[in-house]
Amino acid sequence: MLLGLARRLASGLVTLLLVTCLAFALIHAAPGDPVSAGEGGDERWFLTLTPQRQAEVRALYHLDQPLHLRYAGWLRDVARLDLGRSFHDRRPVRDKIGERLGTTLGINLVALALMCVLSLPAGGLAAWRSGGAWDRLSAAAGYALYSIPAFWAALLLQIVFSVKLDWLPLYGLASDGAERLGTIHRLLDRGAHMVLPVVCLSYGGLAYFSRFVRASLLENAFGEASRAARARGVSVARLLFRHGLRQAALPLLTLAGFVLPALVSGSVIVETIFSIPGLGSLFTEAVLQRDVPVVMGLTLLSSVMTLAGIVVADVGYLLADPRVRRAPG
Amino acid sequence: MTRPRARLALAAAWILLCAGVSCSGAPEKPRAAGPLRVSLSSEPASLSLIGNTDRSSEILAALITESLVAYDARLGLVPRLARSWEVSPDGLIWTFHLREGVRWHDGAPVTAQDVAFTVKKVQDAATQSRSYLSQFQDVSVESLDPLTVRARYAAPYADALDSWTLPIVPEHRAAADPDFLSGEFARHPVGCGAFRLKSVEAGREIALEANDAYWEGRPGLDGIVFRIIPEERTAFEALLKGDLDLMNVTADLWNEAQGSPRAARLASFVSYPFGVWYIGWNQDGSNPYFGDPRVRRAMVLALDRNRFISRVLSDKARPAVGTWHPDSPWFDASLAPWPYDPDAARRLLDEAGWRDSNGNGTRDKDGVEFRFRLMMAASSQEWTGRIAAWVQESLARIGVEMTIEKLEWRAFQEGRRAHRFQAAMASLGLGPVPDQFELYHSSSRERGLNYGGFRDDEVDRLLVEGRRTFDPARRLEIYHAIQRRIHDLEPISPLFHFAVPVLYDARLEGLEPSPRGIWLITPGPRRWRWAAGASGH
Repeated sequence: MLLGLARRLASGLVTLLLVTCLAFALIHAAPGDPVSAGEGGDERWFLTLTPQRQAEVRALYHLDQPLHLRYAGWLRDVARLDLGRSFHDRRPVRDKIGERLGTTLGINLVALALMCVLSLPAGGLAAWRSGGAWDRLSAAAGYALYSIPAFWAALLLQIVFSVKLDWLPLYGLASDGAERLGTIHRLLDRGAHMVLPVVCLSYGGLAYFSRFVRASLLENAFGEASRAARARGVSVARLLFRHGLRQAALPLLTLAGFVLPALVSGSVIVETIFSIPGLGSLFTEAVLQRDVPVVMGLTLLSSVMTLAGIVVADVGYLLADPRVRRAPG
Repeated sequence: MTRPRARLALAAAWILLCAGVSCSGAPEKPRAAGPLRVSLSSEPASLSLIGNTDRSSEILAALITESLVAYDARLGLVPRLARSWEVSPDGLIWTFHLREGVRWHDGAPVTAQDVAFTVKKVQDAATQSRSYLSQFQDVSVESLDPLTVRARYAAPYADALDSWTLPIVPEHRAAADPDFLSGEFARHPVGCGAFRLKSVEAGREIALEANDAYWEGRPGLDGIVFRIIPEERTAFEALLKGDLDLMNVTADLWNEAQGSPRAARLASFVSYPFGVWYIGWNQDGSNPYFGDPRVRRAMVLALDRNRFISRVLSDKARPAVGTWHPDSPWFDASLAPWPYDPDAARRLLDEAGWRDSNGNGTRDKDGVEFRFRLMMAASSQEWTGRIAAWVQESLARIGVEMTIEKLEWRAFQEGRRAHRFQAAMASLGLGPVPDQFELYHSSSRERGLNYGGFRDDEVDRLLVEGRRTFDPARRLEIYHAIQRRIHDLEPISPLFHFAVPVLYDARLEGLEPSPRGIWLITPGPRRWRWAAGASGH
């Protein structure tokens, strides 16, 4: 089992190397460079410089080095746990990511928790009366939700709940002067600001998760195999809680491990619309500015998160399923 | 995740899980009376006042600190930190005399040494001073005494004063900082302007407060709060909700506000910034069409711009006659935009030899059909596509076939820089100076914006002469002559100046429209104030 895990980690590292190499090549293959990537992409400031000044500016962005050397240099720094400095403002990439990581993770973990918690009853109900009214209704609603683009939903939610009804804040993570409020009120204020972004982040996954729970329960608690168990006199409640939900919950958690990195990248749109200073908006800005160190730092972070999710999922399976545990190698 | 954040997340989860909880439990939004609340579409890269400049940081720099000279709303350069200045007869040496008694926010006096330091900092490539580096790359600056600065130029440049709108930074605060763009100074920038930095919350807001000791007297506002709101729509809704007091909007949002009762507290005006929407014609010989000025002019004569402006652009644009702004003192008012005259356009094309000899509806010459590609940058702004479609339709009526090629912005830019295009449509932002060397001089094909390779000896000569001529009357003659020549030759076709409507709380007084916008003029925001009786918000 340990050997298997070590093998997973090794192949994970190779994958990581390939992913960053590809990302590095892609951002340089895309047209444009940090020189012409200012506001509105105005390159005039650069075009009107003397050749010597142009060379100085290019050196600032390492554009004077061949691509493979730039990548090698980046790898060397990463090996020393140094993500480099942003081209844009010369701040350490680690700091730039660090100060926004909490915000993005916070919102996404709440969204993820919401998906997991709501999908169990929703999927369970659908599986219990499979083919019934709730099953069909939730399937239809689920597909509809899954296909609504987040930016559209975000604008709609803003208009309905913030502009028309004035129940929830329009943007940001705190009201004016929130820092002067007491702890409870400040938390309530923060919570209110998070409602709309979290809903935007979770509705699509919720639909997906509840179908997943339904399928898993159908197989384990209400399917063919369980019919035999019920014939032996096992109660429905026991089937559901002892076998079904336990069987469904673990894969759900591992699924959540996979979904988290995807959610983080999905928050690009949501963070921009709601003016939330998180990793998503940092990533958008960095790509637009061709801020290579920041783009690479974020790529590395999301790759590591994805790989960690996979490893956690594997370990989860090892623990949950004796068949995997006993399989050779 | 830090512990307070974890608690926040838990609390928020609890709120979410109690489905249906509305925010009636949330606190009333606390509202301070006083500061003006506005939005910024992006966080400035640096608050170092001169480093990695973008529009947001220029606005903040102009409020926090001062420059030697500044533009007023009518585009005149007026003395600020410089009380007066003179130019040597050869035009190479500019001497500035600084105003006495101006102090930095920390109480230290503003000296000539600070000016020299600022220029050196701009010349350092690491400062990435995009707005100022090219203007100061060949200038050496020294302080002669605490109140006298001398700038030596490599070549005479009559518009050099324009670059002295450079915000000045205090040497004693900024010099020691090895990390100029994001270090101690950039976190707590000190200037000598009407406002001082009060607080910064990364990614959220930047708050300024009035400088009581400002040399021209305390500004009319107690403070200005800039909120970072990247999405224009979100900012607009915040304005209508009363969370913002002032905003530049697009024509679509302006129209929406006109019909909305929620906009009742807002007043508005329209200004025309230094921007021209234009089509550049590649005339370097790589295509058989646009080397001939008659063909270039025929293109613009085929466009019914007034109709398009009223039908599609909600009257928020005006036809452009050139790249000199109509409100600029340098503009030649005897010129008028080319009218809509499709018959004249057809005649010009006939004269140039483009006739429909094979009767297929498209003109041709020497066996080549008049079919060209218009390159443009793909944009989320829907109207850019509508302009292209309208040009296509209009040209089809005079027998010219145009296809539209939309590229990602950087790809568009690279194609243009490498001269790989037949015609290219984009917007062009110029400044208040009359010199447009970088746009029209033949040498600017490689080092400038003359992407289409326009070349005219007369224009080249006048552009060089204009840069060296200091006498205002003579300069005016030169630039009028250039404008007329350019108008005849139509190297590029300026189509529209777009309006920027400004919506603001009607109780706010003192706003002035200007091609430089409302922020980057003097007195500008220093004289804004709430009307008597208006208690802020």
